[in-house]
Order: sequence, then C-alpha cells, then structure tokens
Amino acid sequence: MTQRISKYQRFKMMNPVIQFFKFIYLSIKIMIVVAGGHGGTRKVN
Amino acid sequence: MSKIVILGAGISGHVAATNLRRKLSKQHEVVVVSPNSNYQWVPSNIWVGIGRMKSEKILFPLAPLYKKKGIGFKQAKAISFHPEGDTTEPKPYVLSEYVAGNNKGQQEKITYDYLINATGPKLNFEATEGLIPGENKTYSVCTYTHADHAWHGLIDVIQQMKKGKKAKILIGTGHAKSTCQGAAFEYILNVENELRRHKVRDMAEVTWISNEYQLGDFGMDGMLMSYGSMTMKSHEMIEMIFEDRDIKWILGAGVNKIEDGVAHYENLEGEHKSETYDFAMLIPSFSGHGFKAYDKNDNDITEKLFRGFMVVDADYTPKPYEEWSVRDWPETYQNPSYNNIFAPGIAFAPPHSISKPRKSKNGTDITPAPPRTGMPSGITAKLVADNIIDTIKGGKESLHHKGSMGNMGAACIASAGYGLTKGSGVSITTYPIVPDYEKYPKTQGRQLGKTFGEIGLAGHWLKLALHHAFIYKAKMKPFWWLIPE
Ligand SMILES: Cc1cc2nc3c(=O)[nH]c(=O)nc-3n(C[C@H](O)[C@H](O)[C@H](O)COP(=O)(O)OP(=O)(O)OC[C@H]3O[C@@H](n4cnc5c(N)ncnc54)[C@H](O)[C@@H]3O)c2cc1C
Repeated sequence: MTQRISKYQRFKMMNPVIQFFKFIYLSIKIMIVVAGGHGGTRKVN
Repeated sequence: MSKIVILGAGISGHVAATNLRRKLSKQHEVVVVSPNSNYQWVPSNIWVGIGRMKSEKILFPLAPLYKKKGIGFKQAKAISFHPEGDTTEPKPYVLSEYVAGNNKGQQEKITYDYLINATGPKLNFEATEGLIPGENKTYSVCTYTHADHAWHGLIDVIQQMKKGKKAKILIGTGHAKSTCQGAAFEYILNVENELRRHKVRDMAEVTWISNEYQLGDFGMDGMLMSYGSMTMKSHEMIEMIFEDRDIKWILGAGVNKIEDGVAHYENLEGEHKSETYDFAMLIPSFSGHGFKAYDKNDNDITEKLFRGFMVVDADYTPKPYEEWSVRDWPETYQNPSYNNIFAPGIAFAPPHSISKPRKSKNGTDITPAPPRTGMPSGITAKLVADNIIDTIKGGKESLHHKGSMGNMGAACIASAGYGLTKGSGVSITTYPIVPDYEKYPKTQGRQLGKTFGEIGLAGHWLKLALHHAFIYKAKMKPFWWLIPE
C-alpha cells in the first residue's frame, strides 16, 4: 500500500525553522556526494 | 599554439570553454560555435513555464562575456565534420553556417586542433506526429521560449477554470523513448502547486503520462534510497507524492500521436489508448542532430563519428540486459577514431539505456532513454577540458581525467512548487548514476548513504540557491571556478 504523508510529516516539511537546518544538512550532504569525486570503472588507478 | 573549438554553449560547452580559457595561456585559442546568442540555465525553465520567473532571469548574452574573457564566439551552427580536412584544407575542420549578423547564411570551415562536440540533443518533436510546441494544446519547457509559451497556455486554462470550466492537465513524456522524466516530474508538481495558489485545484484533473515502467524510474532504472530513517524504493516515494497531490498516473505509455487535445499512446500491454486534455506538456524524444562526417577525399565516414549521438569510448557491442556492465559506459568521452575529438554532456552516444528495456506486446520499444542531467554534463565537460589542457601543456596525449557515469554521483533537486515559504522540493542524490551491480549487489547497484531522498521547503531553497550559484558561475564572476559542477 502506498505510504501517505502524515500531518506531522507535512508540518516538518513546511516548517521554516526545521527546514533551515535541513537546508544546511542537505547542502553538506550533497557536497559530500559531489566532492566524492568521480573516476573510471575499467581499471583500478 | 593550439586551437580548441567547442560546438555548443549549453551547460557542457560553456563549462568546457570557461575552464579551457582559465587554465590555458592566451597564446592558445578557444572558440565557441553556437547558434543561440544566449546562455540559458535550462533547469529554471520549469519556473518560467509556471510564470514565476521571467525568462530574462535565466539567460544572458554570450558575446560580451566571451569578448571580455578572450573566448572567440561564432553565432553559427555546425553542419558537417571533416576530421582529416579535405583536398584544399589540410587541417581538420567543422563546416558551419552563421545564423545571425552580417554573415548570416555564410558557411565557414572552422579549423581546429581539438574539437569538443557539446551540441546536446536535438529536441525531436517530429518523432511524434502532432507534437508541436504551442499547437494541439501541447507545450514544452525544454527552452526558455518554449517555457514562456507554456506559461501563456497554462494561464489561459487557469482563467477558464476560474470561470467555472473543468480542465484536464496532462504532463509527462511525448514519445516511447523520451528521457528527461525528471523535468516533467518537476513541472507537474509546480503546475499542481500553482493550481492551488490560483484556487482552481478542484477544477482540474492532473495526470502523469510516462514511458516509465514504474513511477520514479527517471530513466535510471529507479533506485533504492534512504528516506529519513527508512529505506524506500523511488517508485514508493513518487507514489506517495502523487497520492498526496492527487495526481493520477499512466505508465508504460509510448505516446505516438497528438491531435488537438488528444494524446494517443500504446502501453506495454499492447493496447492502443488515448487521453484527452486541455493543457499538456510532453517531453519529446531526444536525438542526435543528424550531422554527417567526411574524410579527406570526401568519402562519408559518418558511422566513425556518430551513431545518432557521437561515438566515444563506450562499449557499444549489442548485448542483452543481463550482460550490461557499468564498464560499458565511457570514461574520457574521446572518439576512438579521432583522438582530438570529444563529446561530453548529452552529445555522446550512450552504450544502451540504463532502465531495463521493455517492449509492448506488439513489439514496440517503450523504454526511457538514459538521462544526462546538468551535473554529469558539467563534470564530463570539465574532465574533457582538463585532458586537453594536460595534453597541450605536456606535449603528449594525456587522458588522466576520467569520469564514468558508473563512478559519479548526481544531485537532482526537483522543484515541487515555487515560493519562499510555500515552495517545496524533492532532493534526490544518486551514487553512482549508472548502477554498479557488482559493487553494490544488494542495494540495486547504488550506495545507500549516498542515494537518498528528501521532501520539503529546504529543497526549494536549495534549487533557488543553485539557480543563483550556477548563473554566477556561468557569468564567470570572481572565483566562479570554486563552485563545483
Ligand atoms: C526543462 C528541463 C529541466 C531540467 N532540469 C534539470 C535539473 O533540475 N537538474 C539537472 O541536473 N538537469 C536538468 N535538466 C537537464 C540539463 O538541462 C541538461 O543535462 C543539460 O542542459 C545538458 O547540457 P548540454 O550542454 O549537454 O546540452 P544543451 O544544454 O542542450 O546544450 C547544447 C548546446 O548546443 C547548441 N547547439 C545545438 N545545435 C548545434 C549545432 N548544430 N552547432 C553548434 N551548436 C549547437 C545549443 O544551442 C546549445 O547551446 C533539465 C532539462 C530540461 C529540458
């Protein structure tokens, strides 16, 4: 069965204070994925 | 002294040009050839298409910037490739035709030492009968002019709803092999949000139509992701969002014909169905530009350079899905026949799709083509530029910089509604983009911690911050190069 977004979840999703901290957290998390770098797949360098 | 010619000034062409110029001394020439006089930050077209951002905010003219920075610019379109020159021109060149200015219509053999083909996709509307932006009530948001047009179409329908007319809105993919589901996904959520803002949501039936087998496939075979403290499949997450927004969905649909307000499609069951609408935004299929290539003696060598898109260092051997490997994907984006030609971004020919290929019961291929979003487009362009720079500086070929989509992460911040306090975004990161089933066999080919999803207002702020950061970077303002791709 499909998950539903509860009222409490929606409150958290739209609360500016909670979301401000989420913004910082997400920015860092995304930077980690981006800064994780990239490379080839065929040979181990 | 070397001359590097870059075809296209989209995300990948511009990233390549700006990095080459920054790192190479002025004795080397960097020339951009592109038919559009403007740079556009394509992802923000979504907001142009809902009337919340003016198209002027997402574009700027290229000529003054390039002049200031010492990058040559020709407002022209490439027509044919001559990687060995010809009987009168010993150097390799690209035959191009000017599209504006005094020399409009004139052709020029633009010679090069290194060529970067960053021409992205041809928006292949013709592949779907009747799919013409602005006609038959269908629109596109793939360019800023299309997005402007879409907004006019949408506000028209909103006005009608305000007068009491019920309306059907259809958004998704307009061909059995379309890609870029992410853009359509953003648009449907933004449109739905605007309908609520205009207080006409109850007058509209909003439907998602897509060639995906499941919601959340996004042409990437879907993903298993962390969501808060849970581990969720992307289709579960998108289903949750669509249920929440009361958006219906039609999946496995290869749209093949559009008539005024009617989309005809075939589904995986082989049924031929149609869906009516008052406003539709359907992403066309993307194809190569149909370039031709010739050798020194004018013999056609197109297949050495192109298979639709440009041939690069991928493994194109046809093989069944079960035998696909992450190693099929290119690492340096270099053409195997001509080592001074590269194709980053959307311009390179992928070895195969990422999603599992599916056919309808009638044998029609209904499979999303692999997406190449902004981040991999920028990363691959930068690594191509870096390899050319190293080769020029070192005096011998260097392909040290590598970036396979099977060893690269991507962040996709999908806008889900515009507004500083009422907006929303679905932030998804994936690592790697092309699943590596050998490395991550138990988590659908992806690393769980780095593959996650989040929904909320912060996503909108992030998307807006990225809009400003990337336009700042593209304008080459102070320290622009510190902002990652
Ligand atoms: C509506 C929309 C929303 C999107 N949102 C996101 C998002 O949120 N995040 C994300 O990461 N990605 C997003 N994308 C995808 C992203 O825009 C693409 O990945 C990116 O634009 C690809 O860059 P590119 O340089 O390869 O191609 P393009 O941006 O298409 O650039 C191609 C360039 O080549 C030029 N050209 C065309 N023909 C010729 C010719 N014959 N000769 C010379 N030049 C030529 C064009 O004028 C253009 O300058 C979105 C795409 C769309 C359509």
